[in-house]
Amino acid sequence: MTQVDRSSRDAAASSPAGRAASSWRLPEETGVLVALIVMIAVIGFAKPRFLNPINLFTVLGNTTFQGMLALGMVYLLAIREIDLSVGWMFNFSAVVAALLMVAGLDPWLAMLCGVAFGALLGFVNGLLVITLRLPTIIVTLGTFSMFEGLSLVTNNGRPINPPDPTGSYFTLISAKLFGVLPVVAIVFFALAFLLHILLHWTRFGYRVQAVGSNPEAAMLAGIPNSLVRLQTLVLMGAISGLSGSLYVGFRGAIDPQEGSDFVLTVVAAVIIGGTPLSGGFGTVWGAMIGMLIIQVIASGIIFFGIDATWSTFVTGAVIIVAVVLDQLVRYQRQRRANAQRRWDG
Amino acid sequence: MTAPLISVRDLRKRYGGVTALDGLNLDVARGTIHAVVGENGAGKSTLLKILAGVVRPDAGQILLDGRSVAMDSPAAARRRGIGIVYQELSLFPQRSVLANLFVNREPLRGGLVSTRTMREMSEEILDRLGLRVDIGAPVSRLSIGEQQLVELARVLLQEPKLLILDEPNSALNKQETDRLFAVLRQLRGHGVTMIYVSHRLEEVFAISDRVTVARNGKDVMTRDRKGLTIPEVIDAMIGAHPETLFPPPLPPERNGETEELKVLDVSGGELEHIRFAARSGEIVGFAGLEGAGVPRLFNILFGVAKAKSGGAVYPDGGGLPRSTTEAARRGVCLVPGDRKRNGLMLDQSVLFNISQVAVGAMRGGSPLFSKAEARIRALRQIAQLRIKTRSPDALVNHLSGGNQQKVVVGKWLEIAPKVILLDDPTRGVDIGAKRELYDLIRAMSAEGRIVLFSSTELPELIGLCDRILVLYRGRLVGEVAGRDVDNRMLLHLINTGETPNQHAGALS
Repeated sequence: MTQVDRSSRDAAASSPAGRAASSWRLPEETGVLVALIVMIAVIGFAKPRFLNPINLFTVLGNTTFQGMLALGMVYLLAIREIDLSVGWMFNFSAVVAALLMVAGLDPWLAMLCGVAFGALLGFVNGLLVITLRLPTIIVTLGTFSMFEGLSLVTNNGRPINPPDPTGSYFTLISAKLFGVLPVVAIVFFALAFLLHILLHWTRFGYRVQAVGSNPEAAMLAGIPNSLVRLQTLVLMGAISGLSGSLYVGFRGAIDPQEGSDFVLTVVAAVIIGGTPLSGGFGTVWGAMIGMLIIQVIASGIIFFGIDATWSTFVTGAVIIVAVVLDQLVRYQRQRRANAQRRWDG
Repeated sequence: MTAPLISVRDLRKRYGGVTALDGLNLDVARGTIHAVVGENGAGKSTLLKILAGVVRPDAGQILLDGRSVAMDSPAAARRRGIGIVYQELSLFPQRSVLANLFVNREPLRGGLVSTRTMREMSEEILDRLGLRVDIGAPVSRLSIGEQQLVELARVLLQEPKLLILDEPNSALNKQETDRLFAVLRQLRGHGVTMIYVSHRLEEVFAISDRVTVARNGKDVMTRDRKGLTIPEVIDAMIGAHPETLFPPPLPPERNGETEELKVLDVSGGELEHIRFAARSGEIVGFAGLEGAGVPRLFNILFGVAKAKSGGAVYPDGGGLPRSTTEAARRGVCLVPGDRKRNGLMLDQSVLFNISQVAVGAMRGGSPLFSKAEARIRALRQIAQLRIKTRSPDALVNHLSGGNQQKVVVGKWLEIAPKVILLDDPTRGVDIGAKRELYDLIRAMSAEGRIVLFSSTELPELIGLCDRILVLYRGRLVGEVAGRDVDNRMLLHLINTGETPNQHAGALS
């Protein structure tokens, strides 16, 4: 009888006031954002030249292409998968877009084709994943090399330089607003906004998090797991295609090896941003900030006159620190929750 | 001469603001099996953890052989001859049976682990437990029941003076339980003292010499089993009368004609030619041992598993669903047996979980996920099912078992399903929450839904179902209508696949 009484009282007591108190929390991304600002402030304090807007916006521009991939990778981690092939989807799509431009297609149309081609590559990944019932990491370990090979066959191992780099596509994509703010950075920001909405405010985003949280339970709740996986991988492919096509417009060329080393940085940015490897949750803004942190380290190190190769080392260290901090926060939160929770027997 | 082997005096323990033990006393006489029963939250688990040296009490004494002792650590408890078989298995699934039996105590020969010695040492005990499995095979290949026996064997190898069993038979079938009980009686004959924690009262009555009932962290009753009745124990456990446990059928709500689910000759997996019909407004029970095929049948009806042959006609006129998504969209739902693994996203909020089906599975409507709607949905189910949670934003992981199960049911109620498959929905749920689930099942049935209900607990089937279908080795062997069910005959049917009157002589 005590049970019943207590439970009915509690159900009644879950009043709006109680909810409001528990539901307002600092956004997940606060931690990494503070870390980014502190980092910029520290470097800027030591080397004030670093804070020059031109420099800061160059840092932002440099993050764009890998950054876009990181935004898509958030979805992969949220669904408890990892796509290793992003770098070569980026490269292959860029090569295809550039070749279409060389063949005389309007660069804007070529860009759209690049996006569609990236989506097609993602679709190939997705089909393999759902028909062979393999983890994405395994399938993309294979398609990583397959896409690399096909891309190299397509470009004959040489850079592709589309003609007429003075066309509207090239001038706009490589332009800087007010002389400082790169257009691609605005695209990056807009994409982050869209992907944030997609993840947290749509049915698709809900399904991604549900499947990532517990695939078995998701299936038994009637969630179409395979479809969601396929859609996620197509999305990742399309984002890679977009990033690759924009890259062609930005640089006016695509090198045969460009993108080959992207994947580790991309995953690192997502993890630094606070998306857990265990799935079920993702933060797009976090990934964007994570990417910026990596770039700030890289350029900050140059400012201090340290050999640029050290930035790779520091990035690695930052990943470890970020994950440890994340664990600590989680542990604290768990302990607090456990203390409040009714002891279960 | 019969000074208690172990006595617990006024044990107290608080976790944060929650009192787990509130002055509990217990005397366990030497060479007896002493049952401790109580709802979840009564303090049983905390008592066990304290005796095992895992948790330290805030106050109170433990007397072993009349001397006050401190159980500082699990190692200390083990040194004093206390062995515990936990309900949750603590085996290493990838390692062999043998390796599991001797974890951290591997016998050495010339500095190397000696498999031969292990084999010799374990032979007798495995034999006694009737555990005939390949001891070189990884534990994960064994059935849950067998794994439980391995766990027991591991503890017995340490030859404990006091053996504590925490719901040891929750995963065992009838034969395995009988074997376990035979072993326990034998151990008692050898002078081993046992504390047996369970909430399956029939089994408690079958095995124990003395029963202590715990409620709200106190011992509210301790009596010899002789002369004690199950209703008395239930009374003490919940402080209420047990008749109220199973609610009477509700008057059906008149809304249109009855609908029917017809299962036609379904075979697949262990199932052979299953054929039955269930109508709206009735609760059809399913009983069967592990391996009899009840979960498989539910999986086929829900589109998780494929039928090899046969089919079904659902109320909407369609056949067997080809996927869970199709099932959900056609108003068929399954509350799975293992809610933590199969029913819930533990690291997500109540709100998120209750939207699983409405947002995740259904089609149509807006492609947007509205958190405001999700909150309304969650609050509706929290109120309707009386889910005890701080807020819809609380993580499901932090809810008690009964409330977690209500979340699983609630997510389905959001789509107003026509056919409801409940696979042992009250497993591991405390009595208070059980009663609420029973009410809920009755209500779902009265609303005109087709309810199929499987359970491992007979009283539940008898108390709740209009008819009980019994599966035995994949075949439908009998149907018993609710009112004239008698426990013994149903048990017989479940365990042998035959109705007792076919072998009237064998029964008596």
